[in-house]
Amino acid sequence: MIDPFRSTRLRWAAGIALWSVLLALATFAFVYWQTASFLREEVAETLRLEVRAAAADPAAAAGRVDTWIAMDLHARHAAGLFAADGRRLSGNILAMPADLAPDGDAARVPARVDLGERTIDDEIWAAALALPDGRTVVIAHDTDEIDRVRATSLRALGLGLLPTLVVSGLGGWLLASRARRRLAATEAALERVMRGDLGQRLPVGARDDEFDRLAGNVNRMLDEIERLLHEVRSVGDAVAHDLRTPLTRLRARLERTRDGAETVVEFRDAIDQGLVWIDQTLAMVTAVLRIGEIEHGRRFAGFAPVDLAPLVREVAEFFEPVAEDKEIALSVTTEPGIPPVAGDRDLLFEAVSNLVENAVKFTPPGGRIRLRLARSGADGIVSVEDTGPGIPESERERVFRRFYRAEPARHTPGHGLGLGLVAAIAHLHGFRVEAAASPEGGARFALRCRSRPGAVPANIPHEA
Amino acid sequence: MRAVETVARLLLIEDDEETAQDILGDLRGRGHVVAWAQTGPDGAAQARAEPFDALILDRMLPGLDGLTVLQQLRGEGHRVPALVLSALGTVDERIRGLRAGGDDYLAKPFALAELAARLEALLRRPADTRETLLRVGSLEIDLITGTGRRGTRDLDLLPRELKLLEYLMRRPGQVVTRALLFEEVWNYRFTPKSNLIDVHLGRLRRKLEAEGEPPVIHSVRGIGFSLMPDD
Repeated sequence: MIDPFRSTRLRWAAGIALWSVLLALATFAFVYWQTASFLREEVAETLRLEVRAAAADPAAAAGRVDTWIAMDLHARHAAGLFAADGRRLSGNILAMPADLAPDGDAARVPARVDLGERTIDDEIWAAALALPDGRTVVIAHDTDEIDRVRATSLRALGLGLLPTLVVSGLGGWLLASRARRRLAATEAALERVMRGDLGQRLPVGARDDEFDRLAGNVNRMLDEIERLLHEVRSVGDAVAHDLRTPLTRLRARLERTRDGAETVVEFRDAIDQGLVWIDQTLAMVTAVLRIGEIEHGRRFAGFAPVDLAPLVREVAEFFEPVAEDKEIALSVTTEPGIPPVAGDRDLLFEAVSNLVENAVKFTPPGGRIRLRLARSGADGIVSVEDTGPGIPESERERVFRRFYRAEPARHTPGHGLGLGLVAAIAHLHGFRVEAAASPEGGARFALRCRSRPGAVPANIPHEA
Repeated sequence: MRAVETVARLLLIEDDEETAQDILGDLRGRGHVVAWAQTGPDGAAQARAEPFDALILDRMLPGLDGLTVLQQLRGEGHRVPALVLSALGTVDERIRGLRAGGDDYLAKPFALAELAARLEALLRRPADTRETLLRVGSLEIDLITGTGRRGTRDLDLLPRELKLLEYLMRRPGQVVTRALLFEEVWNYRFTPKSNLIDVHLGRLRRKLEAEGEPPVIHSVRGIGFSLMPDD
């Protein structure tokens, strides 16, 4: 904590203290204002009544003035009776206050008052009325009381402010410290994550407040990042591994040919074989790039209404000779009346091709492959069933991952990208692809093609 | 098997020297006369100045993009066939290339033989595709009735085999690649496993040579196939 203003604790404490002080100030100001105006009104009302009473009987005015002065032992009362020329006739106010209008209303004016032993210049609250004979009667009260209220209020404020500051500052500090402690644990966990320990998770309290929910969300995000990283890492490993194999073979072959080949034919054979291996690696790189491209949904230019039935029949026709060579019976059935789907014809052909190709690869001679287009509501379902070894239930999700090869496939040639490509194509179209067991014991792959006429599927982020 | 009878005047617009030298070497080795421009503006100027039989354009060029060059030339009324090369292999890119006026599109990396085969396909577009009775050597097919004969023997051909044979017979002596066949005969775009096309051709071949006749469809190693007249 080098810069104290960057510390949450200090800022919280200072903020809360400042806020409390402002609140106290406002309260005091309000109380003072209310009290003072009440007192002022009280004095003014008394003065108004008194001056009217004194003026009511001009003959007794001087007496009233003296009585008013004598009424108060604390010398807070003042009064005066002045002749028309301003001369003092009676009372303890030495001169008629200059600014006082003789209208019977109370006002605060400066005056000189004779208190017996001494004379003071002070501000007084006074009311004056002119008598019919030209004289003026003044009844007044000093302002000390109201001034005292102000002084008391200010003193109370001054005395109260310090404890308020301390208490609220302390409260802010405590609150911030508590938040800080929770943050510190979170920060420490994040620190470890940032240092590369992706297994770390943030502490989540039992209160289920905003803070806990935030921590929970961050934890779920970390789960997802960890999963993706793992996938990327395993894909990276798989790519490297699968690329290394043909490249190693190529290298060995080139070396052997350089040392041992003697005729042009031998050289040419080696080069041809090398080209085949290079094409294999290029095909794999292309497939990886294509999956990436398709997954990122950068392929809508080719979208148009696609009729599934002829497409499925063409795939069957395309694979029929290969299946026949392998003595596999490939049958195709298409249900009529399935509306066209919005899609990329080439990609859909590729997806169905990959499913059939997979089936041909894993079905032993004498087996059977059924390619079917069935109707389910408005959707078309393209399914491929074979009599191969099937896929264990635990691996049915994973076969769609890039480079994943289920156990029976581990030793067959292929780059493990075919089904990954199918999944990416399905995803681009908003279709679903599933692996299951076929009734005849092999595998069954189904591509559910939702028909949404005119709709271009949204680019939905890749899901787990 | 170098079945080049045409000597074409070609213009290659490609900025990468290494790639350009490989392409130039290969195409010149096949007997073509090839000019080379390294930038878009230079290529456009050459294409305007001289009549070429075909253009080979790289998609990404310094100064002026390959597609822009092509669009300009097309806008000025140049109808010369053009093949677009690109490291951007995406299908959207291909569609963009064709929309800009390209006649074919080839994604890098490609086999030089594939480029040569596609160029030849561009240069030797069958003159009359409306012709329905085709004859090459002892082979004969009637597209109206969907029947074929080898000499006096009737051939029992499936519709796809007839299409395949038609495609080859319209281009006798020309090397066609698997990718070209798949695109033109099956009408789908992607690269299927090469053996799938081979199996189809193998079947067709067996039917054509069922009675020990000499082969007419020849494999061109590492490239594709070629149909040669047998007389």
